[in-house]
Amino acid sequence: MMEYAAKRVMLGLLTVWFIASATFFGMHAVPGDPLSGEKALTPQIRANLEAKYGLDKPLATQYWIYLGNIAQGDFGISYTQENRRVNDIIREHFPVSATLGILAIVFAGVGGVLWGALTALYRNRWPDVVIMFLVILGISVPSFVMAAISQWSLVNLNQIAGGTVLPIGGWGSVWHMVAPALVLGLSTMAYLTRLMRSSMLEVVNTDYVRTAKAKGIPATQIFSRHQLRNAILPVITVLGPAIAGITTGGFVVEIVFAIPGLGRYFVQAIQQLDYTVIMGTTVFYGAFLVFMVILVDLIYSFIDPRVRVDQ
Amino acid sequence: MPRSTTQNSASTEPAESISAQPSATREPLLQVDNLHVDFQTYGGVVQAVRGVSFDVAAGQTLAIVGESGCGKSVTVQSLMGLIPMPPGRIHKGTATLRGHDILASKFIEGRDVRGREISMIFQDPMTSLNPTMTIGRQIAETLEVHRGYGQSQAFSRAVELLEMSKIPEAAKRAKQYPFEFSGGMLQRAMIAMAIACEPAILVADEPTTALDVTIQAQILDLLADLQQETGMAIILITHDLGVVARMADDVMVMYAGEVVERGSVDDIFYRSGHPYTQGLRLAMPTNKHNEDGLPEQTLIAIDGSPPDLFNPPKGCAYHPRCPHAMNVCAQQSPEQYALKPTASSTQGHGHQAACWLHHELCTPQGGRS
Amino acid sequence: MSSTDLTPADFAKLPRQHDADQLTRPSLSYWADAWRRLRGNPRAMASLGLILFLLAFVTVGPAVWTVDPSAQDVDQIGIGPGADRHVTLTAPLTPWEPQTMAPPKASTDNPLGFTLAEPATTQAVRLTWVDHDSPHRLYRNLFAPADTGSYGLPLADLDTPYFEDRLDLQPETYYYTLVALDAAGEETDTGVTLTIDVTRVISFAEARERGLIGPDEKAEIGQTLELAWHPLGTDYLGRDMLARLMYGGQVSLFIGLLAPLAFVLLGVVYGSVAGFLGGAVDQAMMRFADFVVALPFLLFMILFKVVFGIGPGESGILPMLAAMIILLWPAPARLVRGQILQIREEGYVSASKLLGATTPYVVGRHMLPNTLGVILVTITFQVPSAIFTEAFLSFIGMGVAPPTPSWGAMCNEGIKSMLTRPHELLFPAIMISATVLAFNLLGDGLRDALDARMRGAE
Repeated sequence: MMEYAAKRVMLGLLTVWFIASATFFGMHAVPGDPLSGEKALTPQIRANLEAKYGLDKPLATQYWIYLGNIAQGDFGISYTQENRRVNDIIREHFPVSATLGILAIVFAGVGGVLWGALTALYRNRWPDVVIMFLVILGISVPSFVMAAISQWSLVNLNQIAGGTVLPIGGWGSVWHMVAPALVLGLSTMAYLTRLMRSSMLEVVNTDYVRTAKAKGIPATQIFSRHQLRNAILPVITVLGPAIAGITTGGFVVEIVFAIPGLGRYFVQAIQQLDYTVIMGTTVFYGAFLVFMVILVDLIYSFIDPRVRVDQ
Repeated sequence: MPRSTTQNSASTEPAESISAQPSATREPLLQVDNLHVDFQTYGGVVQAVRGVSFDVAAGQTLAIVGESGCGKSVTVQSLMGLIPMPPGRIHKGTATLRGHDILASKFIEGRDVRGREISMIFQDPMTSLNPTMTIGRQIAETLEVHRGYGQSQAFSRAVELLEMSKIPEAAKRAKQYPFEFSGGMLQRAMIAMAIACEPAILVADEPTTALDVTIQAQILDLLADLQQETGMAIILITHDLGVVARMADDVMVMYAGEVVERGSVDDIFYRSGHPYTQGLRLAMPTNKHNEDGLPEQTLIAIDGSPPDLFNPPKGCAYHPRCPHAMNVCAQQSPEQYALKPTASSTQGHGHQAACWLHHELCTPQGGRS
Repeated sequence: MSSTDLTPADFAKLPRQHDADQLTRPSLSYWADAWRRLRGNPRAMASLGLILFLLAFVTVGPAVWTVDPSAQDVDQIGIGPGADRHVTLTAPLTPWEPQTMAPPKASTDNPLGFTLAEPATTQAVRLTWVDHDSPHRLYRNLFAPADTGSYGLPLADLDTPYFEDRLDLQPETYYYTLVALDAAGEETDTGVTLTIDVTRVISFAEARERGLIGPDEKAEIGQTLELAWHPLGTDYLGRDMLARLMYGGQVSLFIGLLAPLAFVLLGVVYGSVAGFLGGAVDQAMMRFADFVVALPFLLFMILFKVVFGIGPGESGILPMLAAMIILLWPAPARLVRGQILQIREEGYVSASKLLGATTPYVVGRHMLPNTLGVILVTITFQVPSAIFTEAFLSFIGMGVAPPTPSWGAMCNEGIKSMLTRPHELLFPAIMISATVLAFNLLGDGLRDALDARMRGAE
């Protein structure tokens, strides 16, 4: 088990290196230079800026410095907000995005498993029909539209209630988290519901469930021990990639709900072509996702004993 | 006409536990009478079981023989309430266990019969056990549910049961998962699980089909030993006549959802009265030698395939494939004819075959070969 | 039935029949059976119909509805579907001389005497009130202040008791609020709100310029003319929504269909090679695929966009396609590789080889047809994903460049005026949702049709 974990972590580090390198070379393939967007620069100021950002050195040297910095966790200084370290930007705003993301994933995971199991057990009866209809809506409506609609309904809800039931934007209290987390988790929840449903349907027809019935085990116990435990495995497998989806979806939700998370900063940096912020955030997110996937895989191996021994 | 059995009203008293019964007892433990099961599918109604009757006595082994699709699994599964009742439907027939009607809905939906009085082991042990639960826990589950044992008590009993099933290192094995077992060992574990609550009847649905021949023999021996120790009855479903010869006391041959012949194992093998049974026997590969001293080369198979149960044929279901088919066979279904009774049969029905060849009007010139 | 009805003749031997071997149902090929199954699935058939309709909408549609999607109808900016298209011909605007008019009177309801000086038109709204020798502040709102609790847009602080509003007037209902200010310039409690309906007018010269009146036509002041018809309304620049949806659909569907086809095909080739070769080569190829998966999609999208040097006026379709193809192939590759590995072990492959089949034959006749089902389903499910990606990228401004429309870009524009002009967001959102829904349902149906046969379920 430890061996498996260690192997995955090593692989993960390799992957992060790959991401960092790809990002570096990708950004440097962009024509023009990072400082071209600045206001008119005298040659002196320009030289100073170049020295500051290390742009005067040959590419290979820049690459090694870059890698070295990343290994120490230093992502450099922002281009557009000079004297603001990228690390600080990440440190201030990532926790907000992380909170939002975690809430959304919990909501999506719990909801997905529950609804999926329900539809499988009541197959083709009204709970199945209703839930699947909502699921289809959930996967068909784009996240930004959903975010917009939810804001609009919140505005109306607040109007009808004559006050602020839920804030329609901003961040700060638990109440601010409810609507965005719901919206963010919704499409993932729909997707997980579908997955859980088909997994559950398969499990319901397996031989071992038949054996459990033949043993006379009560239905609730069959559900939790025999069906759920096995049906949930594919759902956990996709949880890793689902986190990636939640991260990108988070950008939109942060923008629409005016939440000061890292995603919103990232999009801004993209629009302003702030190179170090783009690179730093990309590598950071990339590393984060890689390790999230490893974490999920380790959790999975806890639940499915077959994986442990094989590795 | 098959003899109808008297029915007792369903009583709610719990069944007594079994003690070893003298083998001379003919008192049937389980009596099934004229069972009809069908399935509503999108393509129509499939009549899977069309009038099956049989008895099982304590300590005896009944083998149910037939091709794939003849209805043998559906028969026993419907008795245990394992057939999902929306598409499936028991629309006729009765079944009593020690006098209690087990087809009444509270037994079908309840758990007094399944796992407790009648337990079942299945064909493929690899897929029939929960891959994410240890073997010990899966056996212990039965005891917790039916006997109210606590977790540790149930687990240690599970280890004992594994030892009874001759699994080496039972204590260690009980903590392992199904994928760590071989096929034969898994089947032993299944058997251990099935006998945990000391059932009156153990149903084995093709228990050795997925196993090697040497393992087969071991499993069958284990079943025989356990039967000796506990006195339970065994219903063995198989399509392998070799297994029947080894294990069975009584045999019931099914074809296309009906019973075509029943009797003691000797009756079926040495005095078979139905062309289908004869065909099955002849189809077994032998190591007989012909006149020249060379091994027999040709396998004698039965031509054709079983009928479509959406639309069973009029008359005897076997007639399209029967070498002795007569006009009446295509028009009317034969009744069960009692053949010469023998002392060894424990079946309340004696030796019976459903074939027009036994009708008085059938002369040697007419149809029999 | 009694056996006494039988006669010896009944026991004569039956002539041997040879239909015992007949199969009871006609045999269908795999694809014929799958198609039959699909046909019987109403949701899948409806989706197929919807998809065909959408394809026709974007391809044939522009030939039928020939409006230019970039043309701006400045008289009908941001109107909804079915809005009133009438415009009244009027004289050109003459300068206002409010001093020459009779001053308004105050009343108990209206302590400021706030009134409309003349009928409100899109040329000007002229307001006047009683002169109290104190300044006033004028607000304008599209929603009633009583409902929203806000006066709206502050237009001006005024010492003189009249105001001519010419700011972006639309033929809507406006709520003007006049608030008296005290000596310090703070708002007092005295405020009056007027509900004013503005009528759309156009001058003769403008009408002639925009082709509403022919060069030789006569027209009179007060005559009503009809403006161009926009069945789905217009956007914030006055562009016809229907035309934009059609052209935008071209872009969205082009990317949505082409990208998945391309990267799935690439993945199929890569995955089959890996699966077929097996061993160390397979392991290495899959490792590389894992790396590509880890790359952040957004970043490379931007990189591609910038690297391709998108100048103004060029749409960003090509870089988007390139990015999707280069980044998204690993998932289908993995899928196909898994299938090939599985199929390699199947009995019929060994049997075929034993019978002397060459490798290309085995691959072409046995392996590929059995993966086609999976490939087809994958493509169908990747289409909605690609459409969403395009929409998302356009939404954050990283997609196709304006003025090229795409459904995602239209949603982006529509969100800004969601509360006042919901149709701008609604229509492209519905198009996206309908397409995504249709492909999802079709994918479900395909999977049921193809898989059930594979699993042998009936």
